[in-house]
Amino acid sequence: MTAEHGAESVGTGSNETGKQGLSGARLAVAVVGGALVAAGVRRRSAGGAALAAAGGWLLYRSVRGRGSATERAGAPPDAQTVERAVTVRASADDLYERWRDPDELDRLLAGFADVRAAGEDRQRWTVAEPLGRPVAWNARITEDSPGEALRWESEPGATVPNEWSVRFADAPGDQGTEVTLRIRFDPPGGSVGDAAMSVFGVVPEVLVGEALRRCRSLAEAGETPTLDGNPSGRGRGDRL
Amino acid sequence: MRALCWEGVDDLRVTEVPDPEVVNPRDVVLRVSLSSACGSDLHILNGYLPTMREGDVIGHEFMGEVAEVGRKVEDVSVGDRVVVPSFVGCGNCAYCADDLWSLCDNTNPNASLQEPVLGDATAGIYGYTHAFGGYAGSHAEYVRVPHADTNCFHVPDELDDQQALFASDAWPTGYMGADFCDIEDGDVVAVWGCGGVGLMAQESAALMGAERVIAIDRLPERLAMAEEHAGAETIDYTEVDVVDELKRRTGGRGPDACIDAVGMEAHGTGVAHAYDRAKQRLRLHTDRGEALRQAMRACRKGGTLSVLGVYGVMDKFPLGVAVNKGLTVRTAQQHGQRYVPQLLDHVAEGEMDPSYLATHELPLAESPEGYDLFKHKEDGCVRPVFRP
Repeated sequence: MTAEHGAESVGTGSNETGKQGLSGARLAVAVVGGALVAAGVRRRSAGGAALAAAGGWLLYRSVRGRGSATERAGAPPDAQTVERAVTVRASADDLYERWRDPDELDRLLAGFADVRAAGEDRQRWTVAEPLGRPVAWNARITEDSPGEALRWESEPGATVPNEWSVRFADAPGDQGTEVTLRIRFDPPGGSVGDAAMSVFGVVPEVLVGEALRRCRSLAEAGETPTLDGNPSGRGRGDRL
Repeated sequence: MRALCWEGVDDLRVTEVPDPEVVNPRDVVLRVSLSSACGSDLHILNGYLPTMREGDVIGHEFMGEVAEVGRKVEDVSVGDRVVVPSFVGCGNCAYCADDLWSLCDNTNPNASLQEPVLGDATAGIYGYTHAFGGYAGSHAEYVRVPHADTNCFHVPDELDDQQALFASDAWPTGYMGADFCDIEDGDVVAVWGCGGVGLMAQESAALMGAERVIAIDRLPERLAMAEEHAGAETIDYTEVDVVDELKRRTGGRGPDACIDAVGMEAHGTGVAHAYDRAKQRLRLHTDRGEALRQAMRACRKGGTLSVLGVYGVMDKFPLGVAVNKGLTVRTAQQHGQRYVPQLLDHVAEGEMDPSYLATHELPLAESPEGYDLFKHKEDGCVRPVFRP
């Protein structure tokens, strides 16, 4: 983290916005996207809007086909991989440093998991608000190429084995850096269904999108957009 | 504080809500001096824009006095009188750097709501659905403004509040619409709609050197304003076939540029309008696009179609008309921050004064009645503005 792109230290409310969007994506697995969109739009409420967003992604995914099968040898046949990318006006080195620092990673994944350092290349990841019991696991950094890529893999024993990787590549022209985040969840015991939703209550596409957007906002604008304290007739704060 | 909240279709109420506060370090809280209703609010009022929630504070065109500043704000101080564009820019992303402020990458807290529909997320906007950010709006005593150094523009002392107010939204929107037309000497510019945005587009087109401006509406008092303030010729679309009339008045060519300042709830005449209206009533589609379709047919071959109206996912956009006529289509939500300084200069130099749009000034307590006047276009209402 350089001074130029220094993120705010976490103060009252500031940047503590990760639960937005993600909490909105928490939902029961059994429901299909189309129904969610319809229900969400019909409800005309923020909760409904969140349903519509999640439903929109599910619908999009069902049309496109379920999570693409990972090419990695030895992965279970029903592992689910989601990959998205954003372009950030910052150098690859600066962005790499953000993802390499556990405190910064904790900020990037706010709303999904709390990240704490647990040794040089180990971290403790705890899911913030899962549907059921708290879920935590140790993640090990298994690839570390400064300025280029990072990979985290859950250690054996995780409820849902998972793997995260982020790559940094120069964007064409002077557009900065293309940041590509890929996550893979291996459903427990080969169970059918969406591990991310059934255990963590998140839509993987939304989760990846939120993390990348937070990365971009912190690097470019020094803060993430927030509705903390937002006034309405319903009170204060406006989480979806 | 008191604020005007959306409680459902055609249901607005002034209620007590919590005060906004500085959350991020670049925020300010503004004491609202004036806040205007906007035609785009009518889509919310009428229930055509999803992701509204009961209790949402609406309003996105405003100016006021800085009441509180975050610790990282540098260029704005308590007591400053400022006008604020409707879309929140961060000032640092690729889009803000390109002067495309309504496309800011970093100011929509609910970006994941918009993405599945648009394929992208826009900048956040005050008081305009959760998909567009969910920020509390400006029809209130106070409003939180993120990235204040980028979004607050100092109002010169010689301007009064009403003269500065419309630099927030109506004027930059109309000005941008005219700017899209790359107006050259001899150009004829036709503008559908004589509401706040339409009038501003007409006047801006005249300011940019259009030889003739033709204004299209059905309300006599608004057509009179177009004549008086923009020097426009007028067409009442309930009396003539607009496309025929425009061709006739332009030597058969059609206008060089056509600006749609109407949007998804166009009024019209005849079969197409009846069909649109029926489908929209049944919620089979969100948009009535008669103004846009007229503009496409009327525009001269090779001309420019500048679309400012708010649309959802319109299903009957006759693209073949645009393709076969070689039209250039330009559109955006307003990039206010690009234009506000020059707009304030225009007022200071006496070249334009948009304050006549504020036909009704009311206290906030009477804002529901103000919207009622506005929606039904009664008492010559062009814009009700509220002074908390």
